[in-house]
Amino acid sequence: MSEKKKFSVKGIVQRVILTVLLLSGASAIGYFFGWTGFPETNIVITYLLAVHMIAWLTDGFLWGIFSSIIATFLFNYFFTEPYLTFSVNDPSYIITFVIMTIVALITSTIASHAKKSAVDARQKEAETKAVYNLTNHLTDADNMQDIVGFAIGEISEYLGCQAACLCFQENGTPEDFFMQHRSDHKQIRREIEDAKEIKHRMEQLRTGYEIGSEFYDWPIYGYEKMLGMVRIPIKTAQTMSTAQTRLLRSMIESVALAMDRLRASELHNRSREETVQERYRANLLRAISHDLRTPLSGIMGTSEMIMDMSGQDDPRYNLASAIHKDADWLHSLVENILSLTRLQEGKLILNKQPEAVEEVLAGAIERISKQWPEYEIDVSMPDELLMIPMDAKLIRQVLINLLDNAIKHTLPDGDIRISVEKAENLHFAVFKIADSGSGISQEDLPHLFQMFYTSRTQIVDAKHGIGLGLTICDAIIKAHGGTIEAKNRIDRTGAEFTFTLPMEVQMHEQLS
Amino acid sequence: MSNYHKNILVVEDDPQIKNFICYSLKQAEFRYITAHTAQDALSHLISEQIDIMLLDLGLPDFDGMDVIKKVREWSDLPIIVVSARDQDSEKAAALDLGADDYLTKPFSATELMARIRVAVRHLHMHGKENQQGALTVGGLTIEMDKHLVYLDNKELHVTPMEYSLLSLLFKNIGKVLTTSAILKEIWGVGYGNDTQALRALMAGLRRKIEKNPAKPRYIITEIGVGYRLVDE
Repeated sequence: MSEKKKFSVKGIVQRVILTVLLLSGASAIGYFFGWTGFPETNIVITYLLAVHMIAWLTDGFLWGIFSSIIATFLFNYFFTEPYLTFSVNDPSYIITFVIMTIVALITSTIASHAKKSAVDARQKEAETKAVYNLTNHLTDADNMQDIVGFAIGEISEYLGCQAACLCFQENGTPEDFFMQHRSDHKQIRREIEDAKEIKHRMEQLRTGYEIGSEFYDWPIYGYEKMLGMVRIPIKTAQTMSTAQTRLLRSMIESVALAMDRLRASELHNRSREETVQERYRANLLRAISHDLRTPLSGIMGTSEMIMDMSGQDDPRYNLASAIHKDADWLHSLVENILSLTRLQEGKLILNKQPEAVEEVLAGAIERISKQWPEYEIDVSMPDELLMIPMDAKLIRQVLINLLDNAIKHTLPDGDIRISVEKAENLHFAVFKIADSGSGISQEDLPHLFQMFYTSRTQIVDAKHGIGLGLTICDAIIKAHGGTIEAKNRIDRTGAEFTFTLPMEVQMHEQLS
Repeated sequence: MSNYHKNILVVEDDPQIKNFICYSLKQAEFRYITAHTAQDALSHLISEQIDIMLLDLGLPDFDGMDVIKKVREWSDLPIIVVSARDQDSEKAAALDLGADDYLTKPFSATELMARIRVAVRHLHMHGKENQQGALTVGGLTIEMDKHLVYLDNKELHVTPMEYSLLSLLFKNIGKVLTTSAILKEIWGVGYGNDTQALRALMAGLRRKIEKNPAKPRYIITEIGVGYRLVDE
């Protein structure tokens, strides 16, 4: 601010007036002293006082020198014989003049130095205060709005302007608004349209700031990436001193630190929350599956017991057998619902490991054969060992669901076949499950994998289920990065389900 | 020896399932006693002659896992875990702690009796220490002392690794061996968890002994847990 005043016309006029006033004042007092007959040393001292005051009240070193020389001439002009001339009768006055000038010079130098250090000290204090206030507030801030609010508040106060701040979101995209400080109690939110473009320009930045139409934008560099920008109005920015620029930089630095700290703690909290939720969910699923399985095994065991106690021709045998079948169906539904809940959390972490295809196939076939001993399943697979990264339990569930579906639509002497082969491009393994039932109607084909879709063309009964099985297959296969589709067989009537699994681990493994 | 001489301890807190298990045991003429807490079970084990234990993991006082750990401190009686917990890790943990078998609820009486029969046979085998002679399952025979394997009376060429895998399975016939237990036994401690190598070895062996590896007759995969050589 001081540097600015020094060069303004108004400032110079003020200084001239001040100098003239003080020096004439000193001369007037000198006349008074001369009139009353005081020794002229008093007059010299009065001039020195005036010079000192000029040096103190104006801040220029030059003004001090200037006024000390003028003062000497004034003394010479008014108070030494011959009066009102610049000549002097008594040569000893020359010494008085020289000493007076020197003293005046030294006094004014000291005064202006003292003045300057006082100003410096005040400025330093203001800087320290600004930085201190900022860091102090930033330590307390526990969200982005607070950080931005404090930052622009302190910067505005320090620079005497209306600073603003635009934040970038965690993923790096800029917000579509920025906050601007208007007054001590008012900060406004302003929309911005070209935020992305500005960010792009900022990224190319080679200088400390970017010059826009309304603001100079200073980037806030975090530990890893740019976190946002501080916007200083052009008028202020153009007149900032190097000291102010330096301080602004260090304030932005503090803001960056605070933002980084906040982001890190947010991340930490989030991951802790997720872990807790994950554990909670796992426990819940475990409890549910446990609590459902226990009574189911009671029902199944007891009905088995009754079947065993009664002969095959006993009507009670059939009743118990019906209970057993339904309980069994309920059991597979429970398994499916549990897999689905796991999948639908949206963040299924697959327990993917390279698995031997034959083992997974065998697991599914064993389970199905136990349930439907009267069905024969034809298997074909390549002679070489196929290892495919997968969550074995989930893929087994897919195979069980598809085989179960095939069996439900096929008579016991029908043709149910499952085959596995490598796709021609060798990137996928192709699984095919075919039955010799009546096939899938054109009406059903597009909806097969929808949740709770039950055939429109067939009579709904317990055997057809509520259509969860295929939905789960779809979800599991997609989570593996594979594809699944259904069609009708060409060689004969019947349906054929085909799904593929990538042979290699892929980068995008999570369910989106 | 008839089943009647075998005393089975049924540790189960759910009355329905207990009823059903006991009924099945009675039908097969086993003797049995029941316990519905871990404490109960341990005191029965100490005070009575128990041959086989059926153990539910979710007991009201202690976890069944602790029971396995405790029992294994002094006894190697066959323990068949019967549990509604189906996490692979828990199955493997129970087996690694020393359980002989693991049955997930719901299960059928046939399944349960099959597992108990395997355990009973183990009791007999254990008595004779018949580990040096020939062992046979279906058409598959292994001669431990001569290191020879026969399939349908024809000598079968197996690599030394395949032989040690097969003999390990034969020594634990009917029992589920966890992947980590097999790795430790065949490759030795410190080999780490190279399940891939085991899978490849198993695939090779299966191609020699099974007609269709996807419908195995001899070696059954317990997905996520381990392998079992069938015992019938």
